[in-house]
Amino acid sequence: MAAAAASARGIFKHFGATHALSSVDFDAMPGEIHALVGENGAGKSTLVRIFGGVHRADRGEISLDGSPCRFGSPHDAIVAGIVTIPQELRLVPALSIAENLTLDGPPVRRLLGLSVIDRNAMRDRAREALAQLDFAPDPDTRVDRLSFAERQLVAIAKALRRRCRLLILDEPTAALESREIERLFAVLGRMKQQGVAIVYVSHRLDEVVALADRCTVLRDGRVAAHRERGAFAVADLVQAMTGRAETGVAIDTPVAGDVTLEDTGERPDAIRLRANEVLGLAGLLGSGADRVLRRLFGLETAGNDVRTRAGVVRLAHPTDAIRAGIGMVPGERRLGLVMNLSVRDNILLPNLDALTRGGRIDRAAGDRLVTGLMELLDIRPRDASLRAASLSGGNQQKVILAKWLARNVAVLLLDEPTQGVDVAAKAQIHALVRDFAKRGGAVLLSSSDLAELTRVCDSICTLHRGHVTARLDRTAGFDEARLHAAIGG
Amino acid sequence: MTMHKRFNLAGQIPLITLVALCVFTALLTPRFLSPLNLTNILVQSSIMAVIAIGMTFVIIGGGFDLSVGSTVALAGCVAAMVMVKFGIAAGVLAGVATGAAVGLANGLIIASLGVNPFITTLGTMVLVRGLVFLVTGGAPVGDDGMPAAFIAFGSGRFLGIHYLVWVPAILLVVLSWVMHATPYGRRIYATGGNREAAYLSGVPVERIVASTYVWCGALAGVAGVMLAARLQSGQPTAGEFYELTAIAAVVLGGAALHGGEGLLYKSIIGVFIMIVLGNSLNLLNVDSYWQRVAIGAVIIAAAAADRLRSGR
Repeated sequence: MAAAAASARGIFKHFGATHALSSVDFDAMPGEIHALVGENGAGKSTLVRIFGGVHRADRGEISLDGSPCRFGSPHDAIVAGIVTIPQELRLVPALSIAENLTLDGPPVRRLLGLSVIDRNAMRDRAREALAQLDFAPDPDTRVDRLSFAERQLVAIAKALRRRCRLLILDEPTAALESREIERLFAVLGRMKQQGVAIVYVSHRLDEVVALADRCTVLRDGRVAAHRERGAFAVADLVQAMTGRAETGVAIDTPVAGDVTLEDTGERPDAIRLRANEVLGLAGLLGSGADRVLRRLFGLETAGNDVRTRAGVVRLAHPTDAIRAGIGMVPGERRLGLVMNLSVRDNILLPNLDALTRGGRIDRAAGDRLVTGLMELLDIRPRDASLRAASLSGGNQQKVILAKWLARNVAVLLLDEPTQGVDVAAKAQIHALVRDFAKRGGAVLLSSSDLAELTRVCDSICTLHRGHVTARLDRTAGFDEARLHAAIGG
Repeated sequence: MTMHKRFNLAGQIPLITLVALCVFTALLTPRFLSPLNLTNILVQSSIMAVIAIGMTFVIIGGGFDLSVGSTVALAGCVAAMVMVKFGIAAGVLAGVATGAAVGLANGLIIASLGVNPFITTLGTMVLVRGLVFLVTGGAPVGDDGMPAAFIAFGSGRFLGIHYLVWVPAILLVVLSWVMHATPYGRRIYATGGNREAAYLSGVPVERIVASTYVWCGALAGVAGVMLAARLQSGQPTAGEFYELTAIAAVVLGGAALHGGEGLLYKSIIGVFIMIVLGNSLNLLNVDSYWQRVAIGAVIIAAAAADRLRSGR
């Protein structure tokens, strides 16, 4: 058997009292895609960072092509041919694609005895590197003008300019739409054929099943399962990740109630939301789904007239929307939370006026509210004084939901509420959304994950270039083929 | 839990530094603990403490204010000039209002126009100092006819403690309450910690940011009035480098320069560190040029400590 491109044997790593990894073995063979899955906090990132030279293992051995090695820094790992593509790409936004690709050593020519950058050679190198990925942009384009998917390709191209024996991708598809995901998969397929070992970290298990040759499941810092291609299915992986079987969300088709929120004017992306209803918004990037949410939360500068149960309201500022009983969970968690404030302060932030008596905040009432919500939403750890930054992604998302549940909002606008959230927390959030609707709330849920929409929603509106192209109801059955066609994917 | 404990220990570094500094100086020179010297430190700290409280508002809100030193001078001179003609109450009011007006101008430019706070207040620092010289003609004002009661305020005592020391003490109690028990205070922390998230939670972030500069300006006005009482006149050159001492004190007190973190009482501890350090170097007969070198090094050390803490 050929030596593994990279392997870890008996890795232990602890942070304070937490055992992040215990006795973990992991191999990546040349020319294979090895998926690494697990819930948040299972140890995926720690393992990946040990390969990348960011952390050093307490015990255990890393070897490349069969020979042991030690990395003192991320630089050592890069020199050894280990390339990590993190979720936050390390590109310089204000420089061009070509400049980014040649940042480590731009081609030079002599001019009047001086070394100057050879711009033509630089562009040619960039084109060449990007052509491998079937991507042909103008190399002079500034990186901050590119979409996330395009920037990711630039980052991969940059990685491939060095000798690369192990490519680690951390949640590469979290911000991609389906067409871009296909392109990424094609790129990975080609690299695999060139003999690169690929480690693929993802929360999206359907992708893992479709893409990976092998899959290792981590749970609580240990290897919980190891499967060869063909021997794993989503349900099996979920069970290995959580230690229990996947449970669906119970949907007792409710009778949609009165209209809670609707656009007053004629517009191509007009929305009508009823009580007891979870309405999904499906669309590719640029379809305008995010703009619908922004508009309904008063974030579009022009302002927007909507009819609520209390009458027509102009939404020109988030405070207008909040006053009208609308809450929003933004697509990025950093927009939903003040990370250096406590969980308590975050939950109370939109609710301070309601809790103020004679100019001061009623601390006892605030504590009661927070304790009740942390119990209801199962926010862990149950300590309201912890900083929001110290919570896992799923729990942070629950804190954002708690902010609005504390206000008894009538409408929740959710933008990718389960992105980057582990399977167990995802199921909990879905259940909370259903429960909110059951108790009379109205939910508008935008998601790039069609499986999530068909699982949770009563109806789904598809958007394409700012127009609602179809509306499908659960009662008639969600037809995935029709959904795909309607969003133009 | 370990993180929690470590955080608490790190939170006490300003106090530990201050105590260590006092013990060290007291061991080297007995004069440090003399009642005269301790009173001196308190009175010197009082004016800077008032400025530092305002600066803490701005820094917690995610901003920065370089204009306070000039504002101290302008407010002091305006107060002295008005007081000579219209009496103490009018003079004090005019001084504080002048400070608040400078703060409002800073606040509106920074919060509504989105101009960088460093550049904005660098501009107002120079501009306001120019106004001081225009208003006063470059000479001290009010030194011949300041009301006796006002001069008594600058040197008198209540319950054995200087009036000047009572001012920051009362402000500290009242404003700490505002910061921690009122929605307004919590919104300042939220805005400084994450302006976008605060905005999406319905916080009127522009008004909050602007208001922190108004506090800072008004309190610089109060400090200007206090300084005028102590100097028995309005001095156009007063308050130079006060902004740097105040910012250094706030950072020494553990407030984060990126906003969202800080406590008023810790900024006061930072003020004491700065004043005691100067006092200690004086008592030890350290050359005044070397004093500047030492104080500059302390400011950099404080900023480095801020980096280390936020990078944790």
